Amino acid sequence: MWLWFSKLGSPKWFYELSEKWLPWLVGAMVVFLSIGVVWALLYLPPDYQQGYTSRILVVHVAVAGTSLAFFPLMAVAGTITLVWKMKLADMVAKNAAPLGAWFSFITLATGSIWGSASWGTWWEWTDSRLVSMLFQFFLLLGVISLRSALDNSEAAAKACALLSIVGCINVVVIKYSVEWWNTLHQPSSPVNLDSGSANGPEFWVATAIMIIAVYLFFTVSLILSTRNEILQREKGSQWVKEIVKKQHAEV
Amino acid sequence: MIEAIEFSSFSEFLNMGGYAFNVWAVYGLFAIFIVANLLAPKIRRKSILKEQYRRIVLNEESDANESG
Repeated sequence: MWLWFSKLGSPKWFYELSEKWLPWLVGAMVVFLSIGVVWALLYLPPDYQQGYTSRILVVHVAVAGTSLAFFPLMAVAGTITLVWKMKLADMVAKNAAPLGAWFSFITLATGSIWGSASWGTWWEWTDSRLVSMLFQFFLLLGVISLRSALDNSEAAAKACALLSIVGCINVVVIKYSVEWWNTLHQPSSPVNLDSGSANGPEFWVATAIMIIAVYLFFTVSLILSTRNEILQREKGSQWVKEIVKKQHAEV
Repeated sequence: MIEAIEFSSFSEFLNMGGYAFNVWAVYGLFAIFIVANLLAPKIRRKSILKEQYRRIVLNEESDANESG
């Protein structure tokens, strides 16, 4: 167990393993994304109230749901960094923050575009779900600037880990905001597999496929940027030098 | 397969039941979001490899000069 754990934390081990996994992950991502988008845009029947704006929700729900994974991920990685000083965990945490900011921004933008058609408003400051998601976006920008502001990388890792743990509280607020405060944003509809209903099986299957696609995209993008981070932080080591030379010879 | 498609013409598909702007804006953003976050690390990787190769070559040259 401990051997496995320290091996997993080794940047070299991760770099080599991710090289084997990447083609499969990219392949699966392309398949799920294509099926999800084609299904949502061509086959999804219009909702009886929302019309074709329900197609926006397929993207919005998938991106929004995934955006909630960032703070827990960064908190776990941060804890591993603090307790076991694992370098790889900190590299993952560092690269998760900008991607999480993207996810939060796309969640806000797609939600806003949907709201302008369905609610008749782009933004509502009194809505708890909207404001807590905006807060998550700013928190992630805070994590990014905190890291770049601190020159000492160990202090930066520590501070970001603490902020990530605090950010998890906000994730809980986002998740339950629609139930605690009954404002504009509707609670998530229960999964309903009776065909013919407004949120029928077509919608749920399309959304489920899109959620898998977005999670795969999140994994691929994070692996790519973490590999870059490894190349930079381990540039003094022999194995990285060999990779650099080998890549140069191939180009 | 074809019959199950919700639209009977391409312009009807583009129109999205009157919500063309909203639906296409969201899917356009989604496409930019995905492409940007896959391309950026790819481009970054290229520049990192290039920069580090230059550094290795420079170091080897200076080592050779010192010993020679």
